[in-house]
Amino acid sequence: MTKPFLFSTVAHLEYPAGRLATGLATLREGIARVPPESLFFHITRVMVRYPRARDLPPNDFANWTAVALQEPELAERLAFAGAQPLTELEDHRAALLRILDDALARKSPEAVGPAAAFHFISARSVKAPLPFTAEHPEEVVHLWPHVDAAAAFYHLVEARVLGPVSDSLTVWLRERGATRLAESAEGLTMGGMPLYRLHREIGARWRRSLIGTRLLERTEKSDAARRQEARDVVARFAGRLRKPREDAGA
Amino acid sequence: MKELLVAGEAERKEAPRILPVPPVPRHGAPPGGWLERYAQVVDPGTLRALEALARRLHGHRIVMVNTTKTGGGVAEILHRLVVILNELGVPTTWEVMEGDEAFFNVTKKIHNALHGHTEPLTAEDREIYAERTRSEAKRLALDGDLILIHDPQPAGLVSLRRKPGQRWVWRCHIDLSSRDPDHWEFLRPSVAQYDASIFSAIEFVPTLPIPTYLVPPSIDPFSAKNREMDPDEVAAILDRLGLSRRGPWVTQISRFDRIKDPLGVIEAFRMVRGRRRARLLLAGGGASDDPEGAEVLAEVRERAGKVKDVTVLELPPGSDEEINALQRMSTVVMQKSLREGFALTVSEALWKRRAVVASAVGGIPLQILHERTGLLARSIEGAAFQTVTG
Repeated sequence: MTKPFLFSTVAHLEYPAGRLATGLATLREGIARVPPESLFFHITRVMVRYPRARDLPPNDFANWTAVALQEPELAERLAFAGAQPLTELEDHRAALLRILDDALARKSPEAVGPAAAFHFISARSVKAPLPFTAEHPEEVVHLWPHVDAAAAFYHLVEARVLGPVSDSLTVWLRERGATRLAESAEGLTMGGMPLYRLHREIGARWRRSLIGTRLLERTEKSDAARRQEARDVVARFAGRLRKPREDAGA
Repeated sequence: MKELLVAGEAERKEAPRILPVPPVPRHGAPPGGWLERYAQVVDPGTLRALEALARRLHGHRIVMVNTTKTGGGVAEILHRLVVILNELGVPTTWEVMEGDEAFFNVTKKIHNALHGHTEPLTAEDREIYAERTRSEAKRLALDGDLILIHDPQPAGLVSLRRKPGQRWVWRCHIDLSSRDPDHWEFLRPSVAQYDASIFSAIEFVPTLPIPTYLVPPSIDPFSAKNREMDPDEVAAILDRLGLSRRGPWVTQISRFDRIKDPLGVIEAFRMVRGRRRARLLLAGGGASDDPEGAEVLAEVRERAGKVKDVTVLELPPGSDEEINALQRMSTVVMQKSLREGFALTVSEALWKRRAVVASAVGGIPLQILHERTGLLARSIEGAAFQTVTG
């Protein structure tokens, strides 16, 4: 029997990783040597830093290469290499290094001054349990709107990539046989989108995926029970229609 | 610090499974609580997350220490942060280190030097700083579990008042990237005694033997300075201040401090005025820990008198409603600082959806994505150009 899923929120404590880059060569050196947490910060945590953006900005390496080094083509390639949040970090690292090696082989690197240097940052997550757990995959769907964006990022992306895997929501869903819920969440996450939009779209897709199950449950209920449910729905709808008028009167 | 911040597995196992969230104790909050108001600007999940994080700190007391209750961004942040922490069930008090003119002249000198404007620190200056630190160390109630010291002025308290079991954290709000080495060497031995330090941006962080964290500051959308204001209210405040309702207004609202470059703003406006009809407002007050303010204000008035359509307004402490109205009436909000810690005024103007032209210094580029959320400039001419064409 799989354990219930415990939701936690996180606060991200950012700190200097102790390394900076002033050109392509030192950027390559830094990417090759920084710990996975720092790579994760610069590539994937962009989702957390710009949670409400309309479109996800490129990763920090691509952004700095475009703005400070004025290398738009290289920036595009670096942006694409870091565009899939669930990719293994060592695969990300290898892809970025390949692109930088290629660029370094083709042109002599130019450096910028210390004021425009790229500073590597790392972050660790301080976890705090949220007061709800899910026993079944359907409960996850119901609880999802109550989960904050930081918790959603932690359970969807961070725990999967940096661990612990026991906190990965999609791993838990698979263990509980909810493969379709896990796949739809992973598919949307891999697309790379700002956090609030991702949170909302996963919730909507999950709710839609439960429509069939709910219909099936209804067919197994008695006529009286179904009629009562229908009356409740109409009453709720009428209540919603009435509310704005009452508010206006007040 | 580690005990307070590092996640523990034990708590995870004890996670309750009951909805809704158990209420946290409220301390002195208005009806409904301050936190409930924030549900208007953040989703309920964020508030629940804050409460969950605060529960990890239950049983601990925090003491904030700075050197002024009024004026400047630090006091502004603390006014609301202390209330919110208490409401979240983390007992927090705020102690203000007091000083006389001599002490604040020394700390202002240190402040300027840490921003790159060097003035030698004399033996007498050092003694004034040490003597005031000793006397205030006896007076202040520093009996919390976590003592959070803000900025260089009270930094020396750590060596005199630290008790076993306490955690001391130094929160630096200023940009140390161009610091004067002599002044930093004076301060560094004290800073090295803290358990951790916090900076607003990575560019500001010097080499230190203690853990360093990065936390940008924040503004409060419900404070008098940022709350929604309707046009009639704005107009009434402009009338009361004797300002024309007819713009377009370019404004810089800041302490009268040389690092905010008010004279540079006047010069940039003079260039703007050559091409467009506009008015400039320089408004601000002093902080009680800034003795240079009156001198800078006099210089600004003198220079402003030589350029047409420039108004200089000295605002008394607590002019938050007025600042709110002045930002809302502005066509362009300028922040042409030479150095900055963070420049909360930029976030305030962005929150009010104003066009912002600001220097690319300190924490300003963290707030402005050039040509997306505002315009960055690096010179007087740049500020004028962005104001005219942006």
